[in-house]
Amino acid sequence: MSECDVMREGMPLLLTESLDPVRRELTHSHIERCPACGDEWNGLRETWRLMGELPKVEVPASIKERVLEAVGQPRPQVATVVPLFRRVVLRRLAEAAALVVLVGGSYYAGHRTRPVELQPTQATINSVAPARYSIAESRVFPADLVSPTIEGRPDIENVSFIDTNPNDDAIGLSFDITSHVTVTGRPTDKSMVRLLRYMLENHETMSPSRSKAIDWVRATYSRPGNADPEIAEALGNVLRNDAHQNVRIKAADTLKHMGASAASDTREILVEALKNDPNPAVRIKAVEALANLARSGVQLDSATIDTLRQKAVQNSENVYVRVKAAEVLSSVHQ
Amino acid sequence: MKHLSDQELMAIVQAGEFSPASEIYDRYSSRIYNFAYRFLKNSEAAEDATQEVFVKMLRHANQFHGDAKLSTWLFSITANWCRDYLRKADNKAKEAEDVLVTLPAPAEHSPERNLERRENERRIQKALGALTPEQREAILLSRYQGLSYAEIAQISGCSEGAVKTRVFRAMETLKKALAVDAGGGDRCLNAMS
Repeated sequence: MSECDVMREGMPLLLTESLDPVRRELTHSHIERCPACGDEWNGLRETWRLMGELPKVEVPASIKERVLEAVGQPRPQVATVVPLFRRVVLRRLAEAAALVVLVGGSYYAGHRTRPVELQPTQATINSVAPARYSIAESRVFPADLVSPTIEGRPDIENVSFIDTNPNDDAIGLSFDITSHVTVTGRPTDKSMVRLLRYMLENHETMSPSRSKAIDWVRATYSRPGNADPEIAEALGNVLRNDAHQNVRIKAADTLKHMGASAASDTREILVEALKNDPNPAVRIKAVEALANLARSGVQLDSATIDTLRQKAVQNSENVYVRVKAAEVLSSVHQ
Repeated sequence: MKHLSDQELMAIVQAGEFSPASEIYDRYSSRIYNFAYRFLKNSEAAEDATQEVFVKMLRHANQFHGDAKLSTWLFSITANWCRDYLRKADNKAKEAEDVLVTLPAPAEHSPERNLERRENERRIQKALGALTPEQREAILLSRYQGLSYAEIAQISGCSEGAVKTRVFRAMETLKKALAVDAGGGDRCLNAMS
C-alpha cells in the first residue's frame, strides 16, 4: 500500500474529525504536498457535504401506536376510532347490526344492482335483522353468505390478504370490524370485490396501508380471468385522489397490469393522470397503461390522442413519457 | 421519564414494566426509521422495521447489557432486520419502488433552492442505491447517525478495519456517482431504472 493509499483510506475519518491528532496532522501535511490527494480530499469533502442534503424523513405517527399497543401500553393520543355509541347496550346493538351489514345471508349475494355508495358519515344502522352468527369470536365466512353492503364508513382494521394456495382460485380477506371477520371466496365474487373496493377507497379507516392492499390486488386481479371493472374503478379513484405519490404510482401500475376490459373503464383517469399528475413516475405508469390498452386493441378516443400528441412534443416533459406517448400514437396510426 | 438515562429506562423495562416504552420510542424512533428507510429505500418496509425493532427491544430487554449504548443495540437489531429483509428474494425487486419519494422541503427556501435540494436528494438516494448493502449500512451509520467505527463494527459484526474499508469504498463510489450524475440527463428516468 503506497503512502497515498494509506492517507486516502483515513480521509473519511478526517471528515468525521475522529482521526487521532498525530494521523490527522500527517494526513493534512500529505494533502498539502500531494496534488492528487488534495483533489481526492476536496472531492470527498464535497461529497460528504452534498450527502448532508438528504433530509430527515418524518416517522409516521401510527407506528408508535402499534408499538405501544403490542406491549400493552396506552396509546399516546386519543383514539382516532370514534365509538358509534357510548352506552354499552347500544354499542352491542351496533356491533350486532354492523355485522348484520356484512353477514346478511345469501339473499344479497350476487345481487349487485348498483355500486357501493360511500357517504362521508359515521356508520349508521337502519335495521337489525336476526344474525346467523355470533359476534363474540373471530369467525370465517364464505363470501357467498356475506352481503357486501357497507353503510357509512365503519373502521376496518388489521386487514390481511390471504392466498394460502396460489394454485387454486380461493382467496381471503381478514379484518376487524367490531369483531374479527374473515371472508373467503373467489376474486370474482362480488362480495369480495366490494370489500376490496371499500378498502381501496377508504384508506383512512383502514390499517395496514393502502399500498399493501394495492400490492395484493395487483397480484390477484392481474391474473387472467380475475380482472374486474369495479376494482379498476376503485384503483382509478385512488390514482385520482390519493395524496401519496407512491400509492398513485402503484395504482397506475396495477391498472397497467389489469386486463384491457377492466382498465378501459379508467381510460379517462389515466389520461387525466398523464396530463396533470405532478409526479413523473405516475405519468410514466399512466402512459404505459394507455400503451397497453392501445396494444390490446382498445380504441382510444380523440381526447386521449390529443393528450398523447401534446405529451409527445412537450419539451418540459420527462423524456420517457414523450417516447412512450409517441409509441402509442404510432401504434394507433398503423 | 424524560430525566432518566437510557440505562435507567431499560432497567425499568427489564424489571417487566413497559411504561418507559413511549419515552424510549420518542428518543430513537426517528433515527431508526430514517436508517431503515434509507437502507431499504422502501417506506413500508421501514415502518415494519421500526415497529418490529421497538417491540423486539422491549420484549427482549433482558438481552441488553448496560455496558453498551442503547443506540448501538437498537441499530444492531435494525440492521439485522434490514439484512434479513433484503435477503428475501421477493424484497429485492421492491427495492427501487420508493426511489422517487419526495419529502417536504423547508418552507423558508426559495423554489429554486427547494428544487435543487429535491434533485440532490434524488441523486444521493440513487447513489446510495449503487452501494453494496454492507457499504450502505456502514456509510448510513457513519454519515447520518454519527456512529464511530467501533460501534459500526459491533452492529455489523465485523472488524473496525473492515468498517474503515467499507466506508472508504462507499465514499469513493458516492464521489464518482454524484460527480457523474451532476452532469445532467434525465434523472427521474434514471431513478426509475
